[in-house]
Amino acid sequence: MTQHTETRRRILKGAVAASALAAAPAYLKAQANPIKIGIPTVITGGYALLGSQVMRTCRLVKKMTDARGGVLGRPVEFLFQDTQGDPAICVRKTQELVERDNCRILSGVIVSSEAAAMLPKLESWSAVFLSHGNGDGRLTAELFVPRFFRANTSAPMGARALALYLKDAPQKKFMAIASDAAWGRSSNTAFEAQIKRVGKDLVDKIYAPVANKDYSPYITKILQSGVEGCYVALQGDEARAFYSQAQQYRLSQRVQFFTEIVAQADIKVLGKDAIGLMGSSRYPVTYDIPQNKAFVDAFMAEYKEIPDWTDGEMYQALMILFAAIQKAGSDEPMKIVAAMEELEVTSVKGPVKMRKCDHQGENQGFVVRVGHDKRFSEPVGEIVKIYPREMTTPDCRSASYST
Amino acid sequence: MNFASFILAQCLGALSQAAILFFIACGLTLIFGIMRIVNFAHGVIFMLGAYVGYTAALVSGSFVVALIVAPLVVGAIGMAFEWIFLRPLYGRRDGGAYLLLTFGLAVVLSELIRIIWGAQPRSLATPEALLGIVMILDQPFPIYRLFLIGLGLAAGIAVWQFLERTRAGLLIRAVSQNSEMVHALGTDVDLVRTAVFGFGCAMAALGGVLAAPLVTAFLGMGANVVIDAFVIVIIGGMGSFLGSIIGSVLVGFVQVFGAYYFQDLALALMYLLMLVVLVVRPGGLLGKEE
Repeated sequence: MTQHTETRRRILKGAVAASALAAAPAYLKAQANPIKIGIPTVITGGYALLGSQVMRTCRLVKKMTDARGGVLGRPVEFLFQDTQGDPAICVRKTQELVERDNCRILSGVIVSSEAAAMLPKLESWSAVFLSHGNGDGRLTAELFVPRFFRANTSAPMGARALALYLKDAPQKKFMAIASDAAWGRSSNTAFEAQIKRVGKDLVDKIYAPVANKDYSPYITKILQSGVEGCYVALQGDEARAFYSQAQQYRLSQRVQFFTEIVAQADIKVLGKDAIGLMGSSRYPVTYDIPQNKAFVDAFMAEYKEIPDWTDGEMYQALMILFAAIQKAGSDEPMKIVAAMEELEVTSVKGPVKMRKCDHQGENQGFVVRVGHDKRFSEPVGEIVKIYPREMTTPDCRSASYST
Repeated sequence: MNFASFILAQCLGALSQAAILFFIACGLTLIFGIMRIVNFAHGVIFMLGAYVGYTAALVSGSFVVALIVAPLVVGAIGMAFEWIFLRPLYGRRDGGAYLLLTFGLAVVLSELIRIIWGAQPRSLATPEALLGIVMILDQPFPIYRLFLIGLGLAAGIAVWQFLERTRAGLLIRAVSQNSEMVHALGTDVDLVRTAVFGFGCAMAALGGVLAAPLVTAFLGMGANVVIDAFVIVIIGGMGSFLGSIIGSVLVGFVQVFGAYYFQDLALALMYLLMLVVLVVRPGGLLGKEE
């Protein structure tokens, strides 16, 4: 008996050693030649939270992808640079990624103005840039360049979904407040056009300075206007400041808020004050499809946190990128560009198509209301309406809608 | 809502904003007045106050405890920094060393805050007792903002009276005017400097705790506030305590009314005010031209 066991052990050891030797060259080759993805994101500064979400999703995706054998049999490698949310720094740091680290695939840029500053450089960098969250409608319209793709829901698409929902809502008079940045202006412009189209009245619109702290004059203005609904295109620190101060004025008892982006980080900070908040969602964590369930489970197992919209959009962008690399059979940027055009992927947000005419990803539109969901430990955005991507995606190379 | 109630609401909003600005600007101006140091770390100290206040409130369950603990902790950190790093440099004549040192403190503190509390913003809830609204001429106004106005007013009067009517206040004013003479008369000038630096940091921390229920505690919350504070100090006059009060009120009003009536120029108006003041009085409203 002992002799047989000894023999079996020897055979097993031999088999393990042989398979390790057989796998070693491929493994070493893969390690030596990873697919490099440059992530010029915000690590310090006002948008650091969004940058930290981008980075954590990249790390999770690397773990998941490498465990499955990588992309084209090669591991993925993410290289991070801190842009501080400043377009000039973003261009400089991305240049470092391109020239020093030979990164020709770029993603994870936080601020739309940073993305806009990068577009004219893509050709000389020989790079391809896939947006995970840049909202400014112009990026796939008048600023279009062939090496840029947008996987995410843009600001006009978010405003469109909300306007479609508001068509049948009881509120008739609206006010809009947005951050005086590229994304905020794009959102407000789109909302104004859409809300008027569905026959509602936009009484006034406000542009609050970027990184504004005191919203009392705007809240007083909203109170004075007598509107029933308020469209809010603020995010991050600005959104939390606005909602915190609006709550102190009890504004939500008089006016229903409709936000351009429902962010889990804001819900977490606002706590019970966030309950009832409605808005468009770039990524609804509660979307009940197998792809999303798998992502949410993996994310929560890794980080013990509910993924935010940035996590979901970053994950979707990377899934689209990997599908394009697989289709191209290469990580050469122009081959990725060709493969990504008309590429269809079912992601955490359902079916997405990267249309050829302007490289905008056709995403479904989600409208959510913040409430309690027994699957999650804190309030989340619960889906109240899903609009098909044909209805939410703007006209080609445009930030507006002809229908 | 009539025009009078609207204007009153905006004025109260401006005063509550001025109260927050005062807490950060008065520390900045006192430090400059005594030590001739432009403290670049003041905005981060304001942010540190908000985070320490958040933790104090979380542990104790009391906003009042946060209002006491945060200034004490941050004031002590400020005193330690002054004692260890700034004191050895007082003999030097070049101001560049102080700028670099306080800038370095800002960077180090920012990173420490990120490491300790993480990138996730922290919510410091408005205390229950201050959560409601009062109707002023049919216009709702938050009690918390009235509390800010009251506290800012009380702190302003208290510090002013301290500087004007106590022996310690007399020493501080004397050091700001001629530190060599005060030292020759047997007063420990270094101790006065340490105390004033700590007090300035404590006031900024108090401002941070008070601002947290309005904006939450987040990385970078001090970046813009400190610019406002510098503008206030320049408008009021570098080193002038009363000037910092007047400057805070002026900037508060310009920000609130500018945001309402001149949306596109809201940011520029504050700097325009500063330019006008500097043209008319180059040393600031209550400062001395050097």
